[in-house]
Amino acid sequence: MSGSALTVRQRLAAYAGLAKIQISAQTIYRSNYLVSLLGLLFKVYLLKEVWVAAYPHSRATMGHGQQISLSAQIAYSTLASVQYFVFNPWTLSGIPERVRNGQVAVDLARPVRYTAQMTFGQAGVMIAGLPFVIVALPFAILVGGAEAPASAGAGLGYAVSLVPAFLITLLTGSIVGITAFWTLETDGTSIIYRMVAQFFAGALVPLWFMPGWLETLASWLPFQATTYTPIAIYMGKSGSVVSTIGLQCVWVVVLWLILRLLAVRALRRVALQGG
Amino acid sequence: MTTEPRDFGREPAGRLIPWWRSYLVLLGAAWRSQFQYRANLFIMILSGVAWQGVGFAFIWVVVAKFGTIGGWSLSEIAFIYGIRLTAHGLFVVVSGRIFVLDTVIQEGEFDRYLVRPAGALAQLWNRQFYLPHLGDLLSGLVILIAAATEIPADWNVLTVGFLLLAVLSGGMIEGALQVIAASFAFRTMNTRQIRGMMDDIFSNFGGYPITIFPIAIRLILTFVIPLAFVAFFPSAVLTGRSGGLYVPEWLALMSPLAGPLLVLLAREVWRSQLKHYKSSGS
Amino acid sequence: MTGLMAYVGARLEVVDPLGIIHVSELVKDFRRPKRIKGALGGLRTLVTRESVIKRAVDGIDFTVDEGEFLGYLGPNGAGKSTTIKMMTGILQPTSGKIEVAGIVPWRERQRNALNIGVVFGQKSQLWWDLPLRESLQIIGKLYAIDPARHRANVDWFVELLDLDPFFDTPVRQLSLGQRVRGDLAAAMLPEPRILFLDEPTIGLDVVAKERIRGFLSALNREAGTTVVLTTHDLDDVERLCRRIILIDGGKVTYDGDVESLKSRFVQQRRLVVKLAAGVEWRGVGIPGVAESIGDEAVELAFDPAEIQVSELITAVLADHQLTDVAIVEPELENVVHRIYASAGMA
Ligand SMILES: Nc1ncnc2c1ncn2[C@@H]1O[C@H](COP(=O)(O)OP(=O)(O)O)[C@@H](O)[C@H]1O
Ligand SMILES: [Mg+2]
Repeated sequence: MSGSALTVRQRLAAYAGLAKIQISAQTIYRSNYLVSLLGLLFKVYLLKEVWVAAYPHSRATMGHGQQISLSAQIAYSTLASVQYFVFNPWTLSGIPERVRNGQVAVDLARPVRYTAQMTFGQAGVMIAGLPFVIVALPFAILVGGAEAPASAGAGLGYAVSLVPAFLITLLTGSIVGITAFWTLETDGTSIIYRMVAQFFAGALVPLWFMPGWLETLASWLPFQATTYTPIAIYMGKSGSVVSTIGLQCVWVVVLWLILRLLAVRALRRVALQGG
Repeated sequence: MTTEPRDFGREPAGRLIPWWRSYLVLLGAAWRSQFQYRANLFIMILSGVAWQGVGFAFIWVVVAKFGTIGGWSLSEIAFIYGIRLTAHGLFVVVSGRIFVLDTVIQEGEFDRYLVRPAGALAQLWNRQFYLPHLGDLLSGLVILIAAATEIPADWNVLTVGFLLLAVLSGGMIEGALQVIAASFAFRTMNTRQIRGMMDDIFSNFGGYPITIFPIAIRLILTFVIPLAFVAFFPSAVLTGRSGGLYVPEWLALMSPLAGPLLVLLAREVWRSQLKHYKSSGS
Repeated sequence: MTGLMAYVGARLEVVDPLGIIHVSELVKDFRRPKRIKGALGGLRTLVTRESVIKRAVDGIDFTVDEGEFLGYLGPNGAGKSTTIKMMTGILQPTSGKIEVAGIVPWRERQRNALNIGVVFGQKSQLWWDLPLRESLQIIGKLYAIDPARHRANVDWFVELLDLDPFFDTPVRQLSLGQRVRGDLAAAMLPEPRILFLDEPTIGLDVVAKERIRGFLSALNREAGTTVVLTTHDLDDVERLCRRIILIDGGKVTYDGDVESLKSRFVQQRRLVVKLAAGVEWRGVGIPGVAESIGDEAVELAFDPAEIQVSELITAVLADHQLTDVAIVEPELENVVHRIYASAGMA
């Protein structure tokens, strides 16, 4: 809305401030975070045991006739669990809460675009979790397993593809959050979103093990670009790295447009109803 | 119009009613409270289904790919999962949203449950009826019934009866363990995370053939946190596997007794800890 | 004070046949884990299990007769709420005896609940999301109250507490005063023999306070309910209570009626005289009389044990022409304030 009133520098400072607020809010929940980390290690271990029990031999066939070893599959599942954990902290940025109690009017009065506020608020939540993950990663590798990237290029591609993956997670989360303007209810919706997104992201099972129709469906949804795509690049199972990352970027743009469209309508709705 | 003043005399108007009747009265109140908010019933229940369903979707994809896990077919694993989830659904539907228990106790809200002629736990459980829990129960029943018709079990009065008792007992096991953990909140301990962990263990480990895990984990899940009795042992009995387990066969056959026994234990623990309730200094 | 304690003790030994509440040598300790400050403080608090003991109630004795209206008073932290929580079965005493209508509350919590009504000014016991009407229906079912009695009680309460304007509004939308009135109705619906009130009028406006006082008074007078009230509002006490127990530091410091409390703790009376127009104040010249001269009146404080009122009035009239004379009784507010202050509190 009135974002144009600020200089670029002022705006960046505002974004950083919004993220910081969320970071400090999150550290209050430190002990919760520790427990959810234990939960993560626990799931990593469990998934490993399930894969060990499921694998009949040391190799299994992927959907497209490729082979994937047990140890590679375990590495996938460990990496996916950790990455999903970082990108999807339980406490989202509290938009629904703020819509319900009317605080959103304050948010809207700030001279920074509402969508930007939401996005950077969520980024803050995730950044707050990073130190815990750095501590947890060695344990996760110990409990589960790890493999080096397929090649130096794959490693670099993985690092680069995490950026659009992160943005897509933020954008889909915000899109679900913004529906609170209409439903005034989000407990239910956000749980459904999380569960569906987790599954289609490949956080539990890689797309290559899904039955054909499910794999097709998953590959047409944005969620796979958040977890499955970066790891597939890492393991050298993705085809052309450049075009895969390009596709991720297309998703970023599409989702951003959808979010803007919804945000404009949500604001109009608030304006009409007087918040 | 003026009403007559009343003389209450020496006899109070109230009397004690059986625990199940007060439970139903309180449940009715919680249920009506829930509908004061026009929450979307469908979405709330669906969120329960989604929460539980995604775990099953994982198993389903893996087993569909590999045929079996640890010698159990898809329908057999679904059967374990269905028993576990139905038992869980039964427990959460009757117990409401109790993860807030610690705050209820710390902030002295629990006081009000002690000055009414009804069980404190029944009042606590009916503090709020949480609609998504219906989704847990619903998905459990769907998976259980679908799987029961698929597995090569011989369904007769005896086996169906065993299944029903096992499901009830499974709900009691989870409930009893949750209540035991919760009891320690009366000693101003923070029990929320312990209870959360337990819930995690139940929902993450509970639906698998426990024999796929290393022996140490198996023993823990049998004798420390008696999860094996919830769904795995009953499934092993009903699919004719109870002979070759890591425990004597009679133990698996007795699993419907585990719930009632633990409930008795939980009752004692709850009562003994309730004495330590401190209310809150205002 | 020792004489008073002996008096209370004697009453208990006889076991007053009218007594509905018996409390003797009641003690309650709270054990609090010692918090360790500084780095890793939280962790060390968990590990060391050291604790500090706070004795909130320290050997209290009293008996309340059926039909009494008792004011249970004391400064903040005196142990009032803790005593009430033990009488209502919420807390188990550390030691001592307690009997309410023949029942040991913590041992038979649910049976005790039938005999008592409880209202905490701070915390509602109503169903937050439901209208008051429905809360009362639920209570009716929970206590299995006979429908005819239920209806008669509800009608009486609706009139006495003026519940009609908000009877169908969800409780969470009520004002504090409305909510407390609703709580009172809910507490009294099962016709308990004893009503415990812990600061029911705190934070209420004058109108709401008046309604509540009227209700409590009618309840005690018409229905015969025994009432135990803690409050910081001494107007409540003066309007309602015939007997007062003062406690401090967990011990009883006074037990008796309001009048003797005044005479025991406040020797001073005040004589207020209004001078006729144009008359100058020239003093009375009696030692021990403190004079304070205002614009319209002069106040003379004196100790009735030393100086006769008639003597003082005669002395005043000898030198002045007056339009009005009045003797001012001490107000309970001032009395209690002085008692707290003399003990180094408040
Ligand atoms: N639940 C509790 N835990 C620890 N200390 C308490 C608790 N309740 C009361 N106390 C302490 O006991 C004393 C008496 O409290 P209380 O009975 O609430 O006083 P009053 O109601 O007279 O203001 C206070 O010092 C208070 O801090
Ligand atoms: Mg108090």
